Amino acid sequence: MSTPPAGPATGTRTHCPYCSLQCGMTLERSGRTLQVQPWADFPVNEGALCRKGWTATGLRGHRERLTSPLVRDGATGELRTASWDEALDLVATRMRALQAESGPDAVAVFGGGGLTNEKAYQLGKLARVALGTSQIDYNGRWCMSSAASAANQSLGLDRGLPFPLADLERTDLVVLVGSNLAETMPPAARHLDRLRERGGRVVVLDPRRTATAERADLVLQPLPGTDLAVALGLLHLLDGAGAVDEEYVATRTTGFEDVRRSVAGWWPERVERVSGVAAEDLRELAGLLADAERAVVLTARGAEQHAQGTDTVLAWINVALALGLPGRDASGWGCLTGQGNGQGGREHGQKADQLPGYRMIDDPAARAHVAGVWGVAPETLPGPGRSAYELLEVLGTEGGPRALLVTGSNPVVSAPNADHVTERLDALDLLVVVDLVLSETAARADVVLPVAQWAEETGTMTNLEGRVVLRQRAVAPPAGVRDELELLADLAARLGSPVPFGTDAAEVFAELGRASAGGRADYSGITHERVRAEQGVFWPCPAVPEGRAPHPGTPRLFAERFATPDGRARCRVVEHRGPVEQPDAAFPLHLTTGRVLAQYQSGAQTRRIRDLPDTGPFVELHPLLAARIGAADGEPVVVTTRRGSLRAPARVVDSIRPDTVFVPFHWVGANRLTHDALDPSSRMPEFKACAAAVGLAASPDPTPDVSSTQAPVRERAAAGVPA
Amino acid sequence: MSARVVVVGSGMAATRLVEELLARDTGARITVLGDEPHAPYNRILLSALLEGTHRADALTLRGLEWYADRGVDLRTGARVLEVDRDAREVGLVDGTRLGYDRLVLATGSIPTLPPVRGLVGMDGRLDERVHAFRSLDDALRLSRAAASARRAVVVGGGLLGLQVARALGVRGLDVEVVEGGDHLLRSQVGAPAGAILARDLRRLGTAVYTGTRAVRLTPAGLVLDHGYTLGTDLVVLTAGGRPSVALARSAGLAVRRGVVVDARLRTSDPRVHAIGDCAQRGDRTTGFVAPAWEQAGVLAEVLAHELAGAGGAAGGADPRPGRTLPAYEGSRTVARLRATDLDVAVLGEPETAEGEVVELTNPVAGSHRRLVVRDGVLVAATLVGDLSRIGLLTQYYDRGTVLSPGEPGALLRGERPGAGATPSAASLPDDAEVCACAGVSAGRVRACGSLEQVRDTTRATAGCGGCAPAVRQLLATRPSTTLEGTRA
Repeated sequence: MSTPPAGPATGTRTHCPYCSLQCGMTLERSGRTLQVQPWADFPVNEGALCRKGWTATGLRGHRERLTSPLVRDGATGELRTASWDEALDLVATRMRALQAESGPDAVAVFGGGGLTNEKAYQLGKLARVALGTSQIDYNGRWCMSSAASAANQSLGLDRGLPFPLADLERTDLVVLVGSNLAETMPPAARHLDRLRERGGRVVVLDPRRTATAERADLVLQPLPGTDLAVALGLLHLLDGAGAVDEEYVATRTTGFEDVRRSVAGWWPERVERVSGVAAEDLRELAGLLADAERAVVLTARGAEQHAQGTDTVLAWINVALALGLPGRDASGWGCLTGQGNGQGGREHGQKADQLPGYRMIDDPAARAHVAGVWGVAPETLPGPGRSAYELLEVLGTEGGPRALLVTGSNPVVSAPNADHVTERLDALDLLVVVDLVLSETAARADVVLPVAQWAEETGTMTNLEGRVVLRQRAVAPPAGVRDELELLADLAARLGSPVPFGTDAAEVFAELGRASAGGRADYSGITHERVRAEQGVFWPCPAVPEGRAPHPGTPRLFAERFATPDGRARCRVVEHRGPVEQPDAAFPLHLTTGRVLAQYQSGAQTRRIRDLPDTGPFVELHPLLAARIGAADGEPVVVTTRRGSLRAPARVVDSIRPDTVFVPFHWVGANRLTHDALDPSSRMPEFKACAAAVGLAASPDPTPDVSSTQAPVRERAAAGVPA
Repeated sequence: MSARVVVVGSGMAATRLVEELLARDTGARITVLGDEPHAPYNRILLSALLEGTHRADALTLRGLEWYADRGVDLRTGARVLEVDRDAREVGLVDGTRLGYDRLVLATGSIPTLPPVRGLVGMDGRLDERVHAFRSLDDALRLSRAAASARRAVVVGGGLLGLQVARALGVRGLDVEVVEGGDHLLRSQVGAPAGAILARDLRRLGTAVYTGTRAVRLTPAGLVLDHGYTLGTDLVVLTAGGRPSVALARSAGLAVRRGVVVDARLRTSDPRVHAIGDCAQRGDRTTGFVAPAWEQAGVLAEVLAHELAGAGGAAGGADPRPGRTLPAYEGSRTVARLRATDLDVAVLGEPETAEGEVVELTNPVAGSHRRLVVRDGVLVAATLVGDLSRIGLLTQYYDRGTVLSPGEPGALLRGERPGAGATPSAASLPDDAEVCACAGVSAGRVRACGSLEQVRDTTRATAGCGGCAPAVRQLLATRPSTTLEGTRA
């Protein structure tokens, strides 16, 4: 370990383990306890945290922490403790045997957007070099892949925000499309409040009048899956009013004329009928945008998690481009990333089609470069694999992978059409899960490998701004638990990897930097030391020849040119199709999903923290709808879709559209309901919109069948894992 | 050889049909014959153009290059004179003859001249004060004339008339509306709604004359049937339009009010189809875009099916796997008045639809809302002067959502009865949550002596910051602190 940074003598500066804001915090030890304290001068959150951050040390010493590998006993079918040697040998032997029988792609890897850059990088290398499999993807595909795909297509670069978050305070108008940041990343809302104190405006588009909407000047409540139509209508009004920045679109973009024509048919009353947003409200928003000198459009999961997510983001980018916003001071389009390392996690090789540095795996030059860094021949690298859902869907099927290594993800809770995915996991010959606790997915595994978490490890994360920040080890992991970099190196060796894997985070980061050099996400000029000294470094930050001043990093993008070959942004024509599954007589409502403040993602961590309220899932519905089905607040109701059903208490609020119900996704259940249609470009599933029915639960049941954290253990075939 | 599809007309229906055909990759050679000199444009926006809120250039739906790039032969200024169904040819005014395998009539509707003497002068030309309002050229000509005009009379108090009246009013003209029926918008709404609209218009400075007809245009102005003369610079004729059927009729196709079509949009000649305002399905013609586009979608599917080789047999199985041939059985219409400061939406036919009526008229606020409900389903509605929940009501209407008995009435009540009345933090009970970010109750805040203490011990205000005003209020109203303050 390197020396701790300057700061409180007893404290370690690090970042919150949860969302993409990566709030700075200080961990202080006193005796055996570890306490979260503010890190006041970290600019993203300035010492502020939400209750998830304040209670983040709650998993330390938790009775549910795994401290020994677990192996499923062939005789009893139960998980039992095992030594690391036994567990890793079992994993390596079985994987090799399955590959010998069915080819290299018989083993697949599923990563997560919460892994550090170093771990994500090593995971990708493990797949491509040690396993030689093309079958790797990660849960970030379900996070912001639609924004990534849209940004690459239009701006040539995929970085969440094109500027530091604090720039929001200096703009005139912020339009939040499908973001509830006041609950999902509360400290970010401080920047909006300061903007409003200065006289700036905030607009929120969400089917629910959320906590974020409560602090907005204008709220539009479109139907789930219609943000695209709203964007088309806005551009229609802006063009009609002559508010398009003609010089900008002429000199900095291509394709705008076709886009302009394509929105001539999207007059406000048509948008109203499609989206449920009153034409008058759309006109008001267009007026605000037309009048704002500086403006920022931010999309988030509400807009992106659809089978048309990429097109939806493209439509909003078109609005921003038409107004000449990207590249202008405190203006532009951005995406509010979700997972802690949603940004970095997709840049360094966990994605089925990418190599480190955001290089495409089918590009011969990219393969040659990365193979050179890895010390292997380019032709040994596999080609592109399947995207997350497509990968899970074929597990254990003819021609699909027979073994899966999962780390940093809990797909039993978080995958769309989750019952189907769970069936596929159960059909594997070998499921290996790396986690801190026995998550719902780990509970179904053949081998569970316990690893160090957050405060026990060092590594970089890349936040929603594209700022690389440093997570620093403050305490030692519990005995029996291994650092994940060590685990990956050990496993690689046991698999017979032709090259060694590093275990020191700073060294692995340096290797990652070399692998990324010259790529779109170039980290080669960044070191752990610089990150520590500069409160983070924004990529791209290429290495410079020795003797020259280091590259300062790139806090703000696109001032001069876009990252496309000709430097111009691409305006792309997109048409609204709407959600794949529309309400009908049997399923007359729209269902959408999302988060609550006190929980994070599949809840594997937050549901176990005592100081965070674990309410279990609930069904949010409007009083008009509640009256229709005869439900009172708190009464159990059942939501049903064509894929599954969920029983949970009703939460009756007048802040949601009366034709829409909402279920939070932190517990088993919500994703039994969701649709698995995929975006053709990003392969994002349609999490945020499907058709549903809701009714009173038939009989009172004191123990809702969905809030259990323990999934039933599957039955093992006799020919299961050898003991 | 690929099939030849000739489309007569280049309006909203025709444009949509071409898009739908291209999307289906039928391989057909498509020719579009538009008699206007412009590339296809969005007719819906003409009143916004007149009002000055929408640029003329922004009306274009697809540029000429767009058609060229996709191999579609778009001819503007191409007026079709005749259809020779035996030869399967259309003849253009300029003598061109074009063969077809499928012909689509999308000729739209044409304005009718009301029986007003003096509209046409001795020389056979329209009086220069007189304007129609159907085409882009009509709108541009009227817009130019409005620039130097002071007064205008709009003949016709229907949707189009009211839009034109408001557009000219926004432009600063003194506008008068003459409607022969006994109230405005009489084809869509009842008398109470019409009366509210008339009052709204008068409030906006537009005079409204109902139950009276214009009979004569003289140099002094437009003379009404009761003898009153409205002096004016402009007369805009918006009353009356009918399906444009002359071509179909002369070709010997079955024509009633419109060109008669079946569920596959086929006329009496199976090789000739009709869509949009000119078509009549059952006993209905429509004048709206949505039905025209639905028809375009159905027809594109039908043509794709037939051109794929299944021949002309109706209702047959589609030769392409997994696809069934759709049928057009009518549309749900939502008529929205596009006029600044006039709020009108008409869903279906609220005056004639069968069902139970829930109605709320508020003459004080100037609103009239009528919901027609049959078997729990909203089948028609009138919303005048209050469009709250428009984005929900249209959804219920379009999707046929089954409502509970109390719901239609509840839908007409206020949207958020409790909104705006935020209770003072001072009155919150001790167990009420004040700070969601840290999960802090009012009681825990009250137990603190200062903002700093609240922040350091409870973490309230140290998250999103949104609770800071409430926390200050709670601290300020603590009995002990205020008492200490006064005692000091």
